[in-house]
Amino acid sequence: MQRIAEVIESNTTRFTAGAYELHSAPPFGALVRAATRDAQLAVYGLVYEIRTGSKEPGGRAVVRGRTYSGRELFDDQIYFENPDLAEVLQTEFSALTVGFLEQTALYHYLPPHPPPVHYSVYQCSADELVHFSEDYACFRSILFASQVPNDELLAAYIRSAARVRPAGRDYLVRAGRELAGLLKDDYDRLAALLRRIRPV
Amino acid sequence: MYVLMLALWNPYMGLDLTALGRQVRQMSHTAAADAASSAARAAAMRERMLTEVGAEAHWAQAVDLSRETAAWLLARPVEPLDTVVDLPPLPPAYSLVATDGSQIELDRHGAIPCYVINIGQVFLRYGQAPTARLTSQPTLCYHDEDLYLHDGARRIPIEGNYLSARRDVDEGLALAALAAEHLDGSLPAVALQDGTLVRWTLAGAERVVQDHFMSQYLDYLEQMRQRQIPVASYISRPRSPELVGSIRLMLCPDVDVAAGRGARCDRCSDQRAGRTPSCQPCQGLVDSDIMGERLRDGQRGPILLSMSRINVERYGPHQIHFFHMRVGRELCRVEMPQWVAQQAQFVDQVHTLVYDQCARGGGYPVALARAHEQAIVRSADRRAFQRLIESSLYRAEAPGGVSAKRESKEFSRG
Repeated sequence: MQRIAEVIESNTTRFTAGAYELHSAPPFGALVRAATRDAQLAVYGLVYEIRTGSKEPGGRAVVRGRTYSGRELFDDQIYFENPDLAEVLQTEFSALTVGFLEQTALYHYLPPHPPPVHYSVYQCSADELVHFSEDYACFRSILFASQVPNDELLAAYIRSAARVRPAGRDYLVRAGRELAGLLKDDYDRLAALLRRIRPV
Repeated sequence: MYVLMLALWNPYMGLDLTALGRQVRQMSHTAAADAASSAARAAAMRERMLTEVGAEAHWAQAVDLSRETAAWLLARPVEPLDTVVDLPPLPPAYSLVATDGSQIELDRHGAIPCYVINIGQVFLRYGQAPTARLTSQPTLCYHDEDLYLHDGARRIPIEGNYLSARRDVDEGLALAALAAEHLDGSLPAVALQDGTLVRWTLAGAERVVQDHFMSQYLDYLEQMRQRQIPVASYISRPRSPELVGSIRLMLCPDVDVAAGRGARCDRCSDQRAGRTPSCQPCQGLVDSDIMGERLRDGQRGPILLSMSRINVERYGPHQIHFFHMRVGRELCRVEMPQWVAQQAQFVDQVHTLVYDQCARGGGYPVALARAHEQAIVRSADRRAFQRLIESSLYRAEAPGGVSAKRESKEFSRG
């Protein structure tokens, strides 16, 4: 798999990566893998925030849809007419660390070290996602992580894990049961979460 | 925070804005009063200039005759003085390179004598395959030949104006390299610089310094001429009074072209007769006051040749010409070397491409804005650079340390 981004900030519980292509971050809830200094160890994270802005700290974009001469430009035309934009804007995404791979063993808890800054980030393949999502241990850490859209993130992750399985519906049902156990004393939150992963 | 608290607590520290505020208000009133009178004078001088349309050759001669003896700057008309050229059509695709530089000056109180020149470099291509490359190239200058020019046994330190001159040269050389790398002649192109192409900073310099920098600078222009890539520079809100200087000649009673006499300000006949000099109405006016009213958005005025001494005497086939152009509410000055000014196709190319750059950049050329962003050295960068030097010197076990004066400025002491 080709690398899609590079770590630009990292700590024990999450890391942020800059995408090589403008506007091409993995989707919300996607499982990504970051390399570490130990070639045998890779860190898994779930994308919980995607943002695009100026590379310059404090820099802001200006509106460009109406040119100086009054011509109207729409959407990708603006990028076409201003090729320098792709050089001064950056898309970055943050991922909540949910586990790691050491040699062939998967662990659904925090790794000993976060991925180093400037190390590669890859989007996980369907097989990798199937493999990782077999275990529900990370549900709890997603539900109770601070400063992330917990329920939306978990629902997006569960839906994506179901989508890459032939028996996706079974997965949703099993995940729902797991959630019922975790949220047994918060019916409203559970109901809202279940609505977000309801099979269609 | 600590420093801020001290400033609030200690009334004797920092700038007294209350006292300054009164003076600022007085200044604003004076400026408002002056504006009305100078607009009326500018209109009168514009009319005066337009009565000489058709006599450009005559006034070009007058300019040549007065060059050495007039006390003001002059511009020689190359095109009719009433020239107004509409914006030429924009080519469907074009390329452009631009550079801009900044520096970390040599710090006499710093750990070691050195300076940094940072050149922002921009390549942009518009049209079918739009692309952009924005980079910056910092150079640490610390060798003896970076710090001093040698004139026999004498060493002339490169700092202040001379450092700016070196930066100008480096900007030019970087532009030539950028053009060689990216411009293959398949698209209309222009190489754009910020500010003037006339190296004013060298005007008062001694000969050996002028020779050193000018030869490199002219080499760069020559490279561009051989590659046939038009060079231009953009000056936002120009304040130069060169055309105004030529209008002064029209008012001057001492000019007599037929007799081979130009203006001789040290022997002004008005002054000697106890009169106010006839050119007095031009006092304080600048070229944009004259040209501004004549040009609509995108139009340019006549091409003029800058008659500053360094341009006439040192630039040879690259003598800097200029025209004014209106971009929205701003009047800008675009400069170019002679070999660009003499090819109508190049002039049109510079005219329309520079305007398009301004249009895309909301009034200022995108390429220059980007080059500046790449080049700029912020105060945080400066501090980081100083720390980098100090820690590196320490690790290398080289003698270092800052002066006591520098150290005393780092913190306010209680």
